Amino acid sequence: MLEVTGLKKSFHGREILSGVDLTVEKGDVLAVLGPSGGGKTTLLRCLNYLERADAGQMTFIGRTMDMPRLSRKEIAAYRRHTAFVFQSFNLFSNKTALQNVTEGLIVPRKIPRAQAEERAMAALEKVGLADRRDAYPSQLSGGQQQRVAIARAVAVRPDVIFLDEPTSALDPELIGGVLEVIRGLAEDGMTMVIVTHEVNFARHVSTRVLFMDQGQVLTAAPTAEFFEEQKLERVQSFLRSLDRKDD
Amino acid sequence: MSERLVDILVTSFPRILGQGLMVTLPLTVISFALALVIAVICAMIQIADVRGLKQLVRFYIWIVRGTPLLVQLYLVYFGLPDLGVMLPAFPCAVAVFALNEGAYCAETVRAAIEAVPKGQMEAGYCVGMSYVQIMGRIVLPQAFRTAFPPLSNSLISMVKDTSLAANITVMEMFMATQRVVGRTYEALALYSEVAVIYLFFCTVITKLQALGEKKLNAMNGGNVIRA
Repeated sequence: MLEVTGLKKSFHGREILSGVDLTVEKGDVLAVLGPSGGGKTTLLRCLNYLERADAGQMTFIGRTMDMPRLSRKEIAAYRRHTAFVFQSFNLFSNKTALQNVTEGLIVPRKIPRAQAEERAMAALEKVGLADRRDAYPSQLSGGQQQRVAIARAVAVRPDVIFLDEPTSALDPELIGGVLEVIRGLAEDGMTMVIVTHEVNFARHVSTRVLFMDQGQVLTAAPTAEFFEEQKLERVQSFLRSLDRKDD
Repeated sequence: MSERLVDILVTSFPRILGQGLMVTLPLTVISFALALVIAVICAMIQIADVRGLKQLVRFYIWIVRGTPLLVQLYLVYFGLPDLGVMLPAFPCAVAVFALNEGAYCAETVRAAIEAVPKGQMEAGYCVGMSYVQIMGRIVLPQAFRTAFPPLSNSLISMVKDTSLAANITVMEMFMATQRVVGRTYEALALYSEVAVIYLFFCTVITKLQALGEKKLNAMNGGNVIRA
């Protein structure tokens, strides 16, 4: 469904992504793992054109696009099929939880308000926050804000959701609730690309794992294979270093 | 206080206040409304980085902020007629005050827009909104909350600055007072009187500002409760 080849991105002459390839099939939950600074977040941001790739081809639902030269209009059209969940939530701070979810339905998609609110309430229900519909972001905990952000992403019925370290900014006791919501989406068959440091979560929820280091994909494999039959020393040492942290 | 002085103060009060309500206030309100329009347009041009126009805006702000308001009034009212541009005093004052305050407020608005976290814009794009939609529905409303106190400041300044319009024959509150002083020679009492009226106007605006902030805070999820 989504295929990217030869994705490159540099900032100020420093190459952050040096030719990344990836494939996401419908229903995949692709976990992107790897050490900090390896280019995971930049990769995700390029996938939704929050950063402009220097080179790369993208094929999305049968259409091939030249990533560096995609027009503003084409980007907007593409984004109507995707959704993005940020590490720092980025809820609209002047809008209530419900308005945060309906905004993307009413404004760009011209869905009538009543229908949009119905859909938004269903999404808030799904993340367990229907009762906080009128709360502003500043009145919600980090975990609640991230769940509203996920509801906002789900409500537009995207073909794929990109999640950029969705739990990294949360207190430990709030992480579980957010991961639970994402697990629920996976069970519903939602296609997702998740940059994460939660290796256990990746192990149990993702269908495929992509490991990045120094701007390159070291390996991409089905989850079971990635964890059980890992041959790359670099990946094994990374996983071991995380295990130690868990103790 | 002598009976004569009381009499002068009492009879001059409705005259001065009348000019205040009929000239000072409209002059302030019209000029400030126009200044806000100029400010938002100039701020947006700078934020959106419209080529050519941006330099023009910087130039305008540079000129206006670098020259005295009184000189600007004289230039437009007494100077422009040399070029055949003759404006009546009131519209002339409105134009100068609007352009002057617009330049200052443009910087206030620009700073407030820049203070809105960039993630708000990105989130807007990611739900499919256009630049204009995000600006209008997400960024500007948040920027307005930030800009509101300094803009109120500017408005309060302008109420008092309109007294400069007396220099170009606009019959506002201060000039009305000067007239009475000219006839009665009671400078201390009468200038105190008009000062109190200015103070009253500004107090009302201050109260309105407090109400406005309360309302804007409620629309942004309330204040932080102080311990």
